[in-house]
Amino acid sequence: MFTTFGLMALGLIVIYAIGPMRANVLNSTYGTNYSPHYFFLGQLRSVAISLVAFFLAFKVIPYKYVRKFAKPLIIVAIGLSVLLWLLAAAGSSLAKCELGECRWFNLGIVSFQPAELLKLVLVIYLADFLARKREANEIGNLKEFWLPIGLVSALSLGLVVVAQGDLGTGVAMIAIIFGTLLVAGVPTKQYLIMLAIIAVGSVGAIATSSHRMERITAWLDTIQGAEVTDSTYHIENAMLAIGTGGFSGVGIGNSVQATGYLPESINDSVFAIMGETFGFVGLFLVVAVFGALLTRMLKVAERTQPSDQRIFVVGVFSWTLAQFAVNIMAMTGLIPVTGVTLPLLSYGGTSMIFLAYALGLVLQISCYTSREGIADEDISSRRRIGGPHHSSARRHS
Amino acid sequence: MAKSSSRIKILRTVTFVVLAIITVRLFAIQIIEHDSWVAKANQQHTLLETITAKRGEIYMMDGGEPVPVVLNQTTYQVIIDPAVTDKDALKDVLESYAKDYVSADLDEVYAVEGLRYYIVARNVPYRTAQQIAEKVNDGELSSVWLKSSNQRVYPEGEMASTLLGFVNADGIGQYGVEGSLNKILSGKDGMIKTISDVNNVALSIGSDNIKIPAEDGKSVVLSVDRGLEKGIEEIAAAHIDNTAASNAAVLVMNPNTGEILAMTSLPNYDPANYGHVDSAADYINQVTEVPYEPASICKNFTFSAAINEGKMTAETTYFNQGFEIIDGWKIMNAEQRESIYGTITMKTALYWSLNTGSMHALMLLGDSNSEITQIGRERLYDYYHNKFRLGQATGIELIEAEGYIEDPNEGWGRNSTYANMTFGQNLGITMLQTAAAFSAVINGGYWRTPTIVKGTMQGNTIIPLEGIDREEDHILTEETSATMRDMLINNRNYKVRGGIDRLGYAIGGKSGTAQVIVNGAYDNTMSNLVGSYIGFVGPADELPQYVIMTKMWGAGAALSGGEAQDLFDSLSNYVINYLKIKPVL
Repeated sequence: MFTTFGLMALGLIVIYAIGPMRANVLNSTYGTNYSPHYFFLGQLRSVAISLVAFFLAFKVIPYKYVRKFAKPLIIVAIGLSVLLWLLAAAGSSLAKCELGECRWFNLGIVSFQPAELLKLVLVIYLADFLARKREANEIGNLKEFWLPIGLVSALSLGLVVVAQGDLGTGVAMIAIIFGTLLVAGVPTKQYLIMLAIIAVGSVGAIATSSHRMERITAWLDTIQGAEVTDSTYHIENAMLAIGTGGFSGVGIGNSVQATGYLPESINDSVFAIMGETFGFVGLFLVVAVFGALLTRMLKVAERTQPSDQRIFVVGVFSWTLAQFAVNIMAMTGLIPVTGVTLPLLSYGGTSMIFLAYALGLVLQISCYTSREGIADEDISSRRRIGGPHHSSARRHS
Repeated sequence: MAKSSSRIKILRTVTFVVLAIITVRLFAIQIIEHDSWVAKANQQHTLLETITAKRGEIYMMDGGEPVPVVLNQTTYQVIIDPAVTDKDALKDVLESYAKDYVSADLDEVYAVEGLRYYIVARNVPYRTAQQIAEKVNDGELSSVWLKSSNQRVYPEGEMASTLLGFVNADGIGQYGVEGSLNKILSGKDGMIKTISDVNNVALSIGSDNIKIPAEDGKSVVLSVDRGLEKGIEEIAAAHIDNTAASNAAVLVMNPNTGEILAMTSLPNYDPANYGHVDSAADYINQVTEVPYEPASICKNFTFSAAINEGKMTAETTYFNQGFEIIDGWKIMNAEQRESIYGTITMKTALYWSLNTGSMHALMLLGDSNSEITQIGRERLYDYYHNKFRLGQATGIELIEAEGYIEDPNEGWGRNSTYANMTFGQNLGITMLQTAAAFSAVINGGYWRTPTIVKGTMQGNTIIPLEGIDREEDHILTEETSATMRDMLINNRNYKVRGGIDRLGYAIGGKSGTAQVIVNGAYDNTMSNLVGSYIGFVGPADELPQYVIMTKMWGAGAALSGGEAQDLFDSLSNYVINYLKIKPVL
């Protein structure tokens, strides 16, 4: 799990390098007065809180204890999003809005994004729910299984995508739902039907929002090399940053794109700035580290026997993979821009803290695995895959 | 559980596919397309800022000292970012302070999508710019910049505007000296090339930053005398008022050096508000840019050619019957008084400006007593075109037209064409070409490249311009020139008797009245005429010191050489007084 810390540290370095430029751009464009180290200190604070959350999840609060609160947690998380929606509708200053989308609670000096909490809680809830249904052998049952799943999913997605206009988080949630249902053992036929329904729903969600349609057309325009407009500007400049990085990058502090050309340089577009700064070598390393993190999680899932824990790990895996893939593919012009942060690297407190907490739980689960795995009855499938890794898993813990 | 494990394998496969796609994509963008992205980035990031060179000033001479007639003054441009600048606030401020300097229609500017930079006011003086800057500092306006620029100032107002030209809004000299010497005056703009951030603030990132300092333009000193120019313009303007003429052009030059002392083409315009003219034709310097037919003035050149070739003298006689028939055309004299019919001298013919006289000179030039010959035409062409350089740019430091001299052999009706050319019709030459040729006629026979620029001011010294080819060509003998001077002085003897020309001076001259081509043919109603006069002034029995040429015309107006001569009379006396030419009594 050094990968987690490694990514956080890398994120810190990048924010350290480009934070002053970001502050400068904001100051000169909007007349604000950010200090050069504002963003670095902010990220440092987020990383510190994230580390606390990570160790809290890893060492202090057992997963089994967390699981007990799955139901109340999902009610609270959905409730918070509803509250935000109502506050925003009432025009309260407690709801913080940017570019017309109200996604944050304004709590004085800090802001809080309930969708990030909802993602984490969704994983915890689904893991608990699916495990219970497995035991009750009700997977695939319309009334006992699909109805509650559908309700929670629709409510969560509706709040995030429609009320908060946050398609990125919605994509991550869909990935979480897909991933967990897949390993929960939903019959293949039903799974494919679900895929089709979600696909149709997604197309509908895109077609009904001019904002989303614009991003799609902007993406198509960029691919076709059309002239740069306001819409294609983001993708064009992200690719420009990555492209200018070349093999080894321009070096720390020499990014020009971070001086204001690339929007969201420290949040969603941080991957592009890293591409400019560290080049192909750097990005390849970042991708490799993510790859290691992702495959490691799958390995943990494979070796974990209790289905709730296994499903939980896959949920976190799906969450990480979705954000990683959607963010980077958007930055490289492979898919339209959706506004997803790059896990653990982007500037932004809430998302990092919750993912760190989730990864902390995964690490905790991997420790059980190495101890409880020996007692497992289903040895045949496990030995083949997990056997030689026992010792290394222990070392990591 | 076996099913669950196999499904995790699906997830693993998905992961590897995603990782592979991303890696390949990154390789494509960063390694394969690297160069093209770098090129794009350079285009976007490079800030090219021009360091504007200071434009040189223009001086005239006054009492042997250079004095400025075109100066610079710092003014400001108001630049906005239509995406940020508040339109209504901007409108308020511009209307209350800088109304006269607004150069853009704000509604149109704001209608353009994506526009981030626009100059909305120009030539804003320092104090007004101060007031706008205060509004920006108070926060009433945002994203408004003031950029300083040079503006021309004309202490002499409209004086010599057709000679001096003006500087347009882009800082480029147009017409006149500003136009012809734009390169010298404007200098060379410098350049700053740096990597810049999105707000165009230069960054220290990057190694190929360039700074080339500006080379300021040089100040140009004209040979024109400011006081003389002013006086001549006043006199010419008064003559326009008192005649049917709407225009007048005057040229004063030193025939012994080619230096121009005054050059004007009236009416003038206000170079500070150069846009306020009826048409661009008002900018034209009639002295150098417009070929025309100076008419009988050209008899000097025909006579000079025939005398210089030894074919005739001032006392050579011919029979004047008042007309000649050439190529079937009856070419008449303008002067038909009876006393000059019969056998008369060439001197008399020149005095009365008889067309039969100049045609006879052409016959003599062609070794004939009764007809125009090919050799005569060729010899006249040689003198007109090659020796007097008529129909060719003179090489002065101004914008010039060339004009034309008809070929002696090619074309129809050569004899009648050449008969007309002997008295200055059927050709196109500028006043300057005429004056340069006339200078050769009276200065001992030397054609010299006319010049109007003394040099550039460097410190307190005047450095002659480089790359100007000044020629001197001895085209007539001293004797020919002396004979011509005598005849030209003889032309004005009655002026001395009339008390117009003062005793002790050698003043000679010749008038010209040109029919104007209207609808493709000469207007025989004589209602549309251009009057010209050329003459010289100097102490008696010395080489002339000044050549003065005048031209008066107006659309639909009949101006004869008489009106142009009246202007010459006023000017010659003014020049004698102003330049303090001492009489030899």
